[in-house]
Amino acid sequence: MAEQLPSSVDDLAASLREHAYLADRGLATVLHLSVVLEKPLLLEGEAGVGKTELAKVLAELSGARLIRLQCYEGIDVAHALYDWSYSRQLLYIRTLEAGSAQDARETLHELFSREFLERRPLLDAIEHDDAIPPVLLIDEIDRADDEFEAFLLELLSDFQVTIPEIGTIAAAVRPRVILTSNRTRELHDALKRRCLYHWIGHPSLEREIEIVKARVPGVPERLAGEAAAFVAVLRELDLAKAPGVAETIDWTQALLALGQEELDAEVVDATLGSVLKYHEDVERVRDRGLRELVGEARAR
Amino acid sequence: MSRGDAVARKLVTFGRILREAGLEVGPGRLQDALRGLDAVELTSRDEVYYALRCTLVSRHDDLEPFDVAFRAFWELAPVQQLGGRPPDPGIDVPTVPPPVVPAQLLEEVPEDDGEEPEQAAAMASPDELLRRRDFAQMTPAELRRLRRLMVQLAALRPLRRSRRLTPAHGGGVLDARRTLRQAMHTGGLPLERSWRRPKLVPRRLVVLCDVSGSMEPYARALIMFLQALAAPDGASRHLEAFAFGTRLTRLTPHLAGADPATVLERASTLLPDWGGGTRIGESLGAYNREWGRRGITRGATVVIASDGWERGDLDELDRELGRLARQAYEVIWVNPLKGHDGFEPLAGGMRTALRHVDRFMEGHNLIALEALSDALAAPGERRHSHAV
Repeated sequence: MAEQLPSSVDDLAASLREHAYLADRGLATVLHLSVVLEKPLLLEGEAGVGKTELAKVLAELSGARLIRLQCYEGIDVAHALYDWSYSRQLLYIRTLEAGSAQDARETLHELFSREFLERRPLLDAIEHDDAIPPVLLIDEIDRADDEFEAFLLELLSDFQVTIPEIGTIAAAVRPRVILTSNRTRELHDALKRRCLYHWIGHPSLEREIEIVKARVPGVPERLAGEAAAFVAVLRELDLAKAPGVAETIDWTQALLALGQEELDAEVVDATLGSVLKYHEDVERVRDRGLRELVGEARAR
Repeated sequence: MSRGDAVARKLVTFGRILREAGLEVGPGRLQDALRGLDAVELTSRDEVYYALRCTLVSRHDDLEPFDVAFRAFWELAPVQQLGGRPPDPGIDVPTVPPPVVPAQLLEEVPEDDGEEPEQAAAMASPDELLRRRDFAQMTPAELRRLRRLMVQLAALRPLRRSRRLTPAHGGGVLDARRTLRQAMHTGGLPLERSWRRPKLVPRRLVVLCDVSGSMEPYARALIMFLQALAAPDGASRHLEAFAFGTRLTRLTPHLAGADPATVLERASTLLPDWGGGTRIGESLGAYNREWGRRGITRGATVVIASDGWERGDLDELDRELGRLARQAYEVIWVNPLKGHDGFEPLAGGMRTALRHVDRFMEGHNLIALEALSDALAAPGERRHSHAV
């Protein structure tokens, strides 16, 4: 293969770190295995723990193209794999008509040739001629329905697809596949069997501080520590939606923009909206007393 | 024997242990695990651990048993820990099983219908009588007949529009693919056009069933009803069922396939509180945290079956039910007491709950369940603003 991905878990972790992604040993090991074994990696975890980000960073550090397929309910082959360009086909028929009497069979053949094929992310990922295999991110697979999952299953086992009018297209070099799921529903076992599985939890306080420092350049040491600790305190409260690392980063950026060097109850109150996304959570945290919570965070 | 063989043999044994702990570990997975071990540093405990974990585990719930087995097998921790999961507050599978099952619940129901002791009302058919009979007053024989009727009770489901399209006659979205195909016959002129419109698919149904003491006879019938609902496609794709009393237990995996007696038996070994008090707010809170947060409530029809006798905090009930109602498509509350003469929703819990409920229904006999079934099939106008 043309690119050099680090050949050991440690090197991969270091390389991720250079790209400001702080993976723990587990995640680095699993990612390494997914590359070496050429198996798709299924990432589950709470929202905002960096599932999608990992795919982006993997693409970045291997110098590969990132191909992203965002799943949603009702997504089908025409959205994910390929479609025909019907308007161009119709126009083509009209121009032919004006010209000569070509036989119908030939016309049909031309109409359903690659020229009129509209490539969607999955086809792109399978039929690539990149020097470095692209990273295919299948985001939020749990939002797609069963039919689509069954289709993906086929695709992920052979990395080939059949387009009736054209034939079978197989990947010369397999793309690196990362799937993410928020667990709104349990995925099929068959699909999971094709993948390596990893659960990403909230990071430890130390790691989260490091992540914040890596992601928010110029953040004062103290602010990074207090913000991360405050979010850790919040996660222990019984909230409808516990803040993820993404929220910690957003929030720290907001605090930095306000010129804060450390936390205080007033500024927390003013910026709570970038950490908590539900009104009842905001109320709940205010009821607990921001001053006390800030104190609790400082004590960590 | 080579070193590789030794690892492979160890791995096979480990796989067996995992299977005993309830994980699905097939030969394919073991093979992946072996390849995984090949690609990491065998001297690093962490790398070995994660190589095995990502290849042998595929769901979050299996992480804990895996960890226990891993420690026991590869790190020689005392093996008797196996299977003993630490109790998880909120929703959990109790490890100590003292199933306090009301005797009549598991009682073997005699095969023959037998002579009913009360052969009253000769004009009404026996089924007709049964339909009107309060679940709480049914004899075991009647319960058996009830099962039959429940299966007949067409399990019509609430539907919703999917974003997936299906061919339709006229109207909707132009189906370009088909239209073009047809145009081929008319010299490229799209004279005949094909259409697609959104497909109707079952709306997710979430049922939360109160199984505390006062509700017990009704809960029994409701679980039967849930089975009838789950039966047509055998699967739980569109149905999620939970039981609650003082805590919450997921019933979904126990509904499919088995006969009702088995489900009740299984449910009752899972539930430590058949016959206990009710903490509705707390249970709904546990549901919201564990399941609602993942998006199960969103867009679903939620049926809560309970008499509304809240032993817990009314504010909590208000808050948690409110949260649930804001995410759900509609909330139907089924209260068996409502079918009794002179019922007024006076119980504090019931009064609080009604603020968030879209439809309030009876559930004391089969006729009431038929009405519920109809209501599920034809969702009413959704109430958009929930009074708080």
